[in-house]
Amino acid sequence: SFAVDEVSSIIKEAIEGAIGGNAYQHSRVNQWTTSVVEQTLSQLTKLGKPFKYIVTCVIMQKNGAGLHTASSCFWDNSSDGTCTVRWENKTMYCIVSAFGLAI
Amino acid sequence: QMIFNADEAHNIVKECIENVLGKADYNHNKVNQWTAAIVEQSLTHLVKLGKTYKYIVTCAVMQRSGAGLHTASSCFWDTTTDGTCTVRWENRTMNCVVNVFAVAIIL
Repeated sequence: SFAVDEVSSIIKEAIEGAIGGNAYQHSRVNQWTTSVVEQTLSQLTKLGKPFKYIVTCVIMQKNGAGLHTASSCFWDNSSDGTCTVRWENKTMYCIVSAFGLAI
Repeated sequence: QMIFNADEAHNIVKECIENVLGKADYNHNKVNQWTAAIVEQSLTHLVKLGKTYKYIVTCAVMQRSGAGLHTASSCFWDTTTDGTCTVRWENRTMNCVVNVFAVAIIL
């Protein structure tokens, strides 16, 4: 079944690698979100488990606006799972969710 | 073999967003129940289509105050049967982005 702790570490590493130490920059955010999802996905597939994966990433500039996210899943509760990591620094929020569906 | 019908999903989601947020202004106290309502209603309607898919629906609602927001997603699946659909909606006071991911069940 879906190993939440393992996936959580993979996600944290991908975020730190892509945006750790950076300040929000409109011109670079596109490549950052892409890099986070791609890095996460490739590390997940390397686990070699029989799962399909979906990874989403949201990066938002910190300026006081409210942001809410929700997700709902219709799947097999015994084998499928999800893991969400919330990360922030002084200038931005980053929320990454990984969903694993057993084949 | 099944193919994910993105247009059908798009219409379902758009209706759900309109139902929940249609005439509302961003309200910090209500946003939680709005995002929950949007994902739950969308999911219910998708499941009612009766197709052999697992579904994941995500929703982000953001207050419009000039902040930049970027989202990305990447999927490792069977590209012939699985699919995704994104609906972006906005009004005067908020933005809403809903993603639907449909993964075929192999019987």
